[in-house]
Amino acid sequence: MAELKLESARPLAGIARSADGISLSAPADLAIVAIALPLGGENAAMQAVAREYGTDLPPSGKAAQGGGATLIRTAPDQVFVVFEHSDPDAERIVAEKLGDAVYATDQTDSWCALEMEGERCREALERLCPLDLHTSAFAVHDAARTVMEHLGVLIMRTGEDRFLLLSASSSAGSFLHAVETAIESVG
Amino acid sequence: MSQPNRIDGGLIDRSQELAFSFNGERMAGHPGDTLASALLAGGRRLVGRSFKYHRPRGVFSAGPEEPSALVELREGAHCEPNTRATVTELFDGLSARSQNHRGSLEWDLMEVNDLLAPFLSAGFYYKTFMWPKAFWERVYEPLIRNSAGLGRLSGLEDPDQYDKGYLHCDLLVIGAGPAGLAAALAAGRAGARVILADEDFLPGGRLNAESFEIDGMPGSAWAARAMAELASMGAVRILTRTTVFGAYDHGSFGAVERRTDHLVSSGGKPRQILWRIRTRGSVLAAGATERPIAFGANDRPGVMLAGAVRAYANRFGVAAGRRVAVFTNNDDGWRTAADLAARGVEVAAVVDPRDRPAALDVPGAHHLRAAAVADTSGRKGLKAIALTDGSRIDVDCLAVSGGWSPNVHLTCHHNGKPVWREDLRAFVPGEALPAGMVVAGAANGAMTLAAALAEGRAAADAQVSALGFTPAGGDSPRAEDEPSDGAAFWHVAQCRGRAWLDLQNDVTVKDVRQSVAEGFRSVEHLKRYTTLGMATDQGKTANVPALAILAECAGRTIPEVGTTVFRPPYTPVSLGVLAGRVRGPQFQPLRLTPSHKWAEANGASFVTVGNWLRAEWYARPGERGWRDSVDREAAQVRASAGVCDVTTLGKIDVKGRDAGAFLDKVYSNTFSTLAVGKVRYGLMLREDGFCYDDGTTARMGENHYVMTTTTANAVLVFRRLEFARQCLWPDMDVHLVSTTDGWAQFAVAGPKSRDLLRKVVDSEHDLSDEAFPFMSCGAVSVCGGTPARLFRISFSGELAYEIAVPSRYGNAMIAVLLEAGRDFGAAPYGVEALNVMRIEKGHVTGNELNGQTTALNIGLDRMVSRKKDCIGGVLSQRPAMTDPDGVRLMGFRPVDISQSLIPGSHFINVGDEASMETDQGWMTSVAWSPNLGHSIGLGFIRRGQERKGEIVRAVSPVHEADMEVEVVSPHFLDPDGERMRG
Repeated sequence: MAELKLESARPLAGIARSADGISLSAPADLAIVAIALPLGGENAAMQAVAREYGTDLPPSGKAAQGGGATLIRTAPDQVFVVFEHSDPDAERIVAEKLGDAVYATDQTDSWCALEMEGERCREALERLCPLDLHTSAFAVHDAARTVMEHLGVLIMRTGEDRFLLLSASSSAGSFLHAVETAIESVG
Repeated sequence: MSQPNRIDGGLIDRSQELAFSFNGERMAGHPGDTLASALLAGGRRLVGRSFKYHRPRGVFSAGPEEPSALVELREGAHCEPNTRATVTELFDGLSARSQNHRGSLEWDLMEVNDLLAPFLSAGFYYKTFMWPKAFWERVYEPLIRNSAGLGRLSGLEDPDQYDKGYLHCDLLVIGAGPAGLAAALAAGRAGARVILADEDFLPGGRLNAESFEIDGMPGSAWAARAMAELASMGAVRILTRTTVFGAYDHGSFGAVERRTDHLVSSGGKPRQILWRIRTRGSVLAAGATERPIAFGANDRPGVMLAGAVRAYANRFGVAAGRRVAVFTNNDDGWRTAADLAARGVEVAAVVDPRDRPAALDVPGAHHLRAAAVADTSGRKGLKAIALTDGSRIDVDCLAVSGGWSPNVHLTCHHNGKPVWREDLRAFVPGEALPAGMVVAGAANGAMTLAAALAEGRAAADAQVSALGFTPAGGDSPRAEDEPSDGAAFWHVAQCRGRAWLDLQNDVTVKDVRQSVAEGFRSVEHLKRYTTLGMATDQGKTANVPALAILAECAGRTIPEVGTTVFRPPYTPVSLGVLAGRVRGPQFQPLRLTPSHKWAEANGASFVTVGNWLRAEWYARPGERGWRDSVDREAAQVRASAGVCDVTTLGKIDVKGRDAGAFLDKVYSNTFSTLAVGKVRYGLMLREDGFCYDDGTTARMGENHYVMTTTTANAVLVFRRLEFARQCLWPDMDVHLVSTTDGWAQFAVAGPKSRDLLRKVVDSEHDLSDEAFPFMSCGAVSVCGGTPARLFRISFSGELAYEIAVPSRYGNAMIAVLLEAGRDFGAAPYGVEALNVMRIEKGHVTGNELNGQTTALNIGLDRMVSRKKDCIGGVLSQRPAMTDPDGVRLMGFRPVDISQSLIPGSHFINVGDEASMETDQGWMTSVAWSPNLGHSIGLGFIRRGQERKGEIVRAVSPVHEADMEVEVVSPHFLDPDGERMRG
């Protein structure tokens, strides 16, 4: 019998299109590891993060960058560590850095990601996102969990006109359709 | 094409001609026209038929309040009935048809109804359609339905696109008339984020319809200049063609933007957008609506609101008639006469019931003091009016003004009650406004231009100050306050014919009187009894005059009578835009299992389970139907091995020092004592002690458990656990992450499953029964190092495993597993075979855990540990829930095994009559068992544990079925579990 091999197939792999002043792409090899801060061990966890990633943990709803990763504080006791990594062992990478200071759980395959960039991003997102994305209300490195077209979404502003959107991997097709429809609608 | 009624002036672009058709007749107008103004310009007076009496009707107003000029707009599937011609922006190629007539518009056969009017008075169908009862559904309902509505739907799917969206601002200004523009300018200059919404395509409100001046320039020019300044402000967003139709909670407003309704084609873009606007404050500058006076035959084409006649002349360059009379009880009506005369239109007379000098100088017009119009004549359009003194004036247009009613609608959407202002003879907004709302201008009773401008400015200054901005200084726009006095004159008492109040629903003064006489005196009863104020216009022009008549008949004052409740939407909103893009395949998001593509390519059909699509079975060539496929799959699993994607079951990674203790609290049974590397079945109770959810939870490490939930409850259980950890026990160190989508999980079941997995799981992992016995779990690797989780658990009753890999490998994994099982004849199986096998094994699912059953009912009462507390633990011990005579889960087989059991059947003792009193329980799940060769069922029956071997009847009246069944163990197969432990 031939050797059995597993091919990786991430749900939105290869999506890259640009139209109407908005480019849309699925970032390749995006790894996500959720880290939880143990109750009573928050200071130790923060120190470990500062040591390994060279940045303080941001407050909830904000992101910080350091050590080649983006740290999105999704809740008082939860942080998403987002970084580029292709192998299915992202949890190990983070766990080795932070050890017992946190509880690490791989979330890479739970999510699919889309990156939107362009001057008309906000106009398209108006058709999807219930949040106020004006820069005065949602600045660069702000992040929030919300709902778009009945899908849970984590949205982060990565630049003035650039957003990272994360949603559940099982509904990636519906999510892509929702975002593409919004872009086409304003085009 | 000729436009005989076109006069000079107006805000239309005469350099372009737009061709359109009405009832097939080719007509023309100009950019800036509405369909109504173009129809009037073309000399078209008769445009529709009234609802009940099929009376000829023409354009009555020049705005959203229009009760009469409703048309079917566009063709085929794009046709939209009941479209108000007065707010339909003209475009080249527009086609419209009149509605609500049988035969042609000019010769409507249903006009016979007008002769039957004495029999069709208020409440007639409550009285007429009573007897005989047998006619209710077969005769009366079809008859009433046939007459209901006005225009016809195409019956075709709406081909247009619709969208939704969200907007945010500091200040929402509703209406771009003088007050709204002054407010938006003030807020914009102060630096606030402003949204200015106006339903018209040309902002300016009445400024476009009047001959006023502001700052020494025509009002329309001032409006255009204000719009240009607003457009230049980065923080101001202008939404024209946008109706704010409702005020909702917490500063939210609903608005519909008509994006392409003014174009011949939407070009594939959304036609309309439903905006949900969230704002910190709002200025309602919705203006006012003119109301008519009731007099005899006041519904003929050519009888129009005075302000509308003025708007057609000033804004659209259209004379609504060649010889016009004005009938007004207030000074504002005089301006129609003055403006028409100034534009060269002949004004025959100004009829004013007040005994006072002329309010304005109108050259050539007779001023008839203390006079009133009693009747009109002209079959398809006005030819003459008759005054109360019997004199007759030949005119083809009568401009009527009974005063103006502030548009208070949005102020009432949070149950605010408008209050009566005697000096204005109108309701104005009450004190209880939606939070953050300030009303300005005519909507607030500031009925003159200078007052409206000042109020708009002041409202915005107050709003932005409250939000922390500094109001910009500078001069306010300068204008004069025009005369605006009037009298409370609602109805010409001397008239003998029918006097219309509600033109859309054919409600007359007589109907209101009759309603009162028959006891329907409350304004809400009046509305339902007479249909006053119903349908598309919601009585915008009719309500206040009707209230005045009601008050008069009932011997009360208008404020005592009060208004009906104003509810959203302010004007009609299409269902399409409420649905947005949520239609067809996009009705709900779809969740696909990781092996979906492989399943599609391998003959699977799919069933929706919540948002998931799951393979229900995999058809093979030669199979004659689903039963063939399902029987084969179940047989293959029991004989060899099968693979099923079970990713949809909820997975929750539970981590923390207190993870075990936490699970003890949320599960009825104990998990803190579970050894690392072991799995246990868990039962969750609701707070009230009934069963909630079940699943297996594996202890992967000292502080790490992996919980599974049912597919249906995955999200609910996660939410409930988060609530428990955050709110009930915040002092526990426990953390939850959903990993449902992260891992592709497959059941590998059947006697050959271990042999199959040995080819996939890397060889360093020992899968022997000794090393990895039943209910073991652990982290393994597959296919040369890919991380995986392996659980030895069984839902089918066979030797079985579940193996999980990161979901990116899911589609490849199912192929690998079946390739590895090829030598054993392994097969993929779907949820239908999975269900057959779990019924054979006697496992419960949602059919049994339906929220009405207890642990005792399903035979798992020993799983409710008494040694510890858990959610629902105490309440599960209430007497009724531990009743030994209660129902128990049992198996059932037909006595005549050729019969098929019917799920939902109720059990009745042999010899009893089938009734609620004799009911013994019900059948929950039924399957054909390929293993046993007959139909089997699970169900709940009273004292089931004592009734094994007893024969009862399974009765299903809806199927007319009544069959004898034997009560058996729910475990049809391998009751001792030797297979799964093997």
